[in-house]
Amino acid sequence: MDTEMIFALTPLLLVAFGIVLQLLLIAWRRSQYMILGLTIWVLLCALAANASLFSQEAIQVTRLLKVDSYGAFALALVALSALVVCFVSKQVFRRFTEVHDEYYVLLLLVVLGAGTLIFSDHFASLFLGFELLSIALVGLVGYLREEQHAVETGFKYLILSASASSFMLLGIAFIYSQTGSLSFPVEQIGPMHGNHFHLLGVLLLFVGIAFKLSLVPFHFWTPDVYQGAPTPITMLLATVSKVAIFVVLIKVWLGQQYFANGQLLQLVSVVAVLSMLIGNILALQQQNIKRLLGYSSIAHMGYLLIVLVVVSSKSFDFIWQTALFYLAAYALASLSIFVALVVYTAGSGDEQDIEMDSWQGLFWHKPLLSALIIMALLSLAGIPLSMGFIGKFYLLSYATQAGLWELIAALIIGSGISLFYYLRLIFVLFSSSYEAPKLRSYSYANYLLVVLLAITGLTLGLYPNVISALLISL
Amino acid sequence: MMITLVMLGLFLSGTLAWYAEYKKPDTAKWIALVAVLTISLAFVVSLTASSLDYSSLQLLTRVSWIAVFNIEFALAVDYLSIILILLTLVLAFICVLVSWREITSQVGFYYFNLLATVAGIIGVFTAVDLFLFFFFWEVMLLPMTALIAIWGHENRHFAAIKFFIFTQVSSVLMLIAIIAMAYWHFAQTGRVSFFYQDWLALNIPLQHAKFAMLGFFIAFAVKLPSVPVHSWLPDAHTQAPTAGSVLLAGVLLKTGAYGLIRFVVELFPLASEWFAPMAAMLAVISVLYGAKMAFAQQDFKRLVAYSSISHMGFVMLALFSFNALAYQGAIITIVAHGLSSAALFSLAGMLYVRIHSRNLRDMGGLWQSAPRMGGFALAFAAAAFGLPGLANFVGEFLSLVGAFHRFPLFVIFAAIGLIGSAIYGMVLFQSSFQGPMQKPVMDLSLRELTVMLSLFLPLLIIGLYPNMVLQHVEQTPQGAKVHVAGSSSMDSQNRKGGE
Repeated sequence: MDTEMIFALTPLLLVAFGIVLQLLLIAWRRSQYMILGLTIWVLLCALAANASLFSQEAIQVTRLLKVDSYGAFALALVALSALVVCFVSKQVFRRFTEVHDEYYVLLLLVVLGAGTLIFSDHFASLFLGFELLSIALVGLVGYLREEQHAVETGFKYLILSASASSFMLLGIAFIYSQTGSLSFPVEQIGPMHGNHFHLLGVLLLFVGIAFKLSLVPFHFWTPDVYQGAPTPITMLLATVSKVAIFVVLIKVWLGQQYFANGQLLQLVSVVAVLSMLIGNILALQQQNIKRLLGYSSIAHMGYLLIVLVVVSSKSFDFIWQTALFYLAAYALASLSIFVALVVYTAGSGDEQDIEMDSWQGLFWHKPLLSALIIMALLSLAGIPLSMGFIGKFYLLSYATQAGLWELIAALIIGSGISLFYYLRLIFVLFSSSYEAPKLRSYSYANYLLVVLLAITGLTLGLYPNVISALLISL
Repeated sequence: MMITLVMLGLFLSGTLAWYAEYKKPDTAKWIALVAVLTISLAFVVSLTASSLDYSSLQLLTRVSWIAVFNIEFALAVDYLSIILILLTLVLAFICVLVSWREITSQVGFYYFNLLATVAGIIGVFTAVDLFLFFFFWEVMLLPMTALIAIWGHENRHFAAIKFFIFTQVSSVLMLIAIIAMAYWHFAQTGRVSFFYQDWLALNIPLQHAKFAMLGFFIAFAVKLPSVPVHSWLPDAHTQAPTAGSVLLAGVLLKTGAYGLIRFVVELFPLASEWFAPMAAMLAVISVLYGAKMAFAQQDFKRLVAYSSISHMGFVMLALFSFNALAYQGAIITIVAHGLSSAALFSLAGMLYVRIHSRNLRDMGGLWQSAPRMGGFALAFAAAAFGLPGLANFVGEFLSLVGAFHRFPLFVIFAAIGLIGSAIYGMVLFQSSFQGPMQKPVMDLSLRELTVMLSLFLPLLIIGLYPNMVLQHVEQTPQGAKVHVAGSSSMDSQNRKGGE
């Protein structure tokens, strides 16, 4: 391993080193503020180290990892999301006297797992990252063990993600038995025509990933876990986990050239259409905001799955740009709305019971917070002024160029349905409430975070060229 | 630059009004009024001062916006856009005045939304980068939806959601057509472009152009609205506050007509030609169905809403008959309907303030206590059913005469719609202002008189001297010219085939 490789791996190494430091700190002194400061500091260092990778050529780091600039962009997304999660976690833990150091260790482990996934170029590192991410997340999902839903949610997530992992492992074994190699890049095109074992292997691998992306028909855990997990962890599930797993899915898909198989393309299309429609239809009747966002995430992953239907290998770059832009927009919108949720309850921990109706007339009492919520909802609905619209524009551009008319039709129907519940939520904010609810005023730091997220959303929505130009230069 | 400043000015004064209302109640409406008047004045002055020839599109602003996709912030105007912008500004003035007493809650935010909608609509009328056009097309919806959803009547949320979903879903079809056009441009020239004038030079095979044309057509037909996709309109109009209805009927529907002229007919002359019989049939159905439904309504605003469907049917019929006369008729109808329906909705709002009902059964005999109001109601009802001397007559007459060459049978049926409009117009007037007096009401105040007069005078002037508008739109649209060339070549081909 030469210096160039070490340089390319610095962000991941920094996170790993940070975890060791955290453990040492815990052994030395337990303090909420010190561990939080250390975590934020580690993430900032990793971000800084990551920034230098943007202009870098792709570097193969051993056979397991390949550090490229698309991955660097994804890692930046992951680290930024984790930073916001840190800020929000502070809110949630303020009401406990107990010190929660382990929480932050698990948080960095999630980031490390996500980073491994993003840079992986080999089935072994894929599985390693996948497990690192899942196990740490299981710990986090059930972390507040005194809460009403904690045990149920934790177990649900544990059992389902463990079975997903084992499916995936079996799939990898099948693939290995047929190809004799675990690296992503393959030499010859057109694998497994008529080779059922290989096809089955890919199918099982896809099942494992679909669990994590909560694609239909593997979506059942999503609303329960979204609702039951502490809100910062729901944020983590919606952003870090989704970004990392989708990025690795594209890597496998393009590297192993699964798109050359017509049956697999059909399968992906069907899953995409089902996710768009079922996710949106199920969201229609939801009153609980966290559940609603869970269902809407199913639909969003369905939209994004369109990029996997590859018709020409010339479009690889555009696929990456589309996926990364969409993921960035989705992550920003999710972060915004969950931050708003936490700020609204001032970290009192009852976010999981926030119903739509409790936001009645919020706009007239908390215009700034409501503006953030509206920006996020517009972004999720893909309406102009928001980044989500540009993301949708990318997707539609890709689909139109590739001529995927059925998928476009499903996207139009799906987003038409989604307007019902997004608009309903927005109208609730504007409805006149009879009495002013007792709202806690928010602290200076919260105020800053809300303003920052709202401004970022609006700026990138109005002038998306910042991100687009960055993506095209990668 | 001029248009950019107009839009920015409207938006900023909206924000200022919102802020000022927090600091000092009752300032928002004054700020809005002064802003609309100043901006209109500045616009007119800068128009007369400029030496550009607006009979063709004059590019005013062109700056790079999203460079990756070669998307630009490009604005251009010609006489068509100028006429529509002037209509928008007049109606913005009316909107501020009719909201003066009606809006009592969240006043600052109300005027912000009102002015933002107006700014967005002006953007729609001037954008020549198709992505920018789509952007404005969607952005103007947001404050408009807010106007309906926050300050509307009892069933406002349902109406607002329906309005939004209809327009949003149909406009995604347009977005796909826009993207497809941009990539055809890429395929032909090696460069992605969303610029309108680049597209005019494109040579798209007819079978592709048909689909792209339909994508645009559906989005505009929803806005216009034409029959199978009209059902959002009665709800939205009825539930919106008065100013919302005025804006919806007065200019928002016209964005659909504008889109048909500017984009459907001009970009896809041959595909429009192919689709014309179908479009004309939808138009005639709209005319008759709208008139029939208007006659059956008991709700003042619903009646006027259905009559809008009927009148916009004439516009669509005229546009798809590709004829200079019909085209001029369509423009006059657009302006005339904008003014007269705005006036009728304002009347509905004034009545609602007085008797708290929109139901025609609760009215009756109002003439005795409010003769001035009755006079104006009669005048505008007469305008709606096309009394000679008022602008609507000129528009519908020219439309029908122009379209007759091409669709004689359809025009005969559409002319029946004129009789229908006389019937529902009289029903509207008789059941509200004549008959036994139910309860006395106040007559028009000075402010309301201003509203009525500033809507009636242009109608009368254009009705008596239509050349005032017609001299600017004398030239047939580019599409019609292309069409003539296209059809003659088709004719010659046919003739060759025949020989």
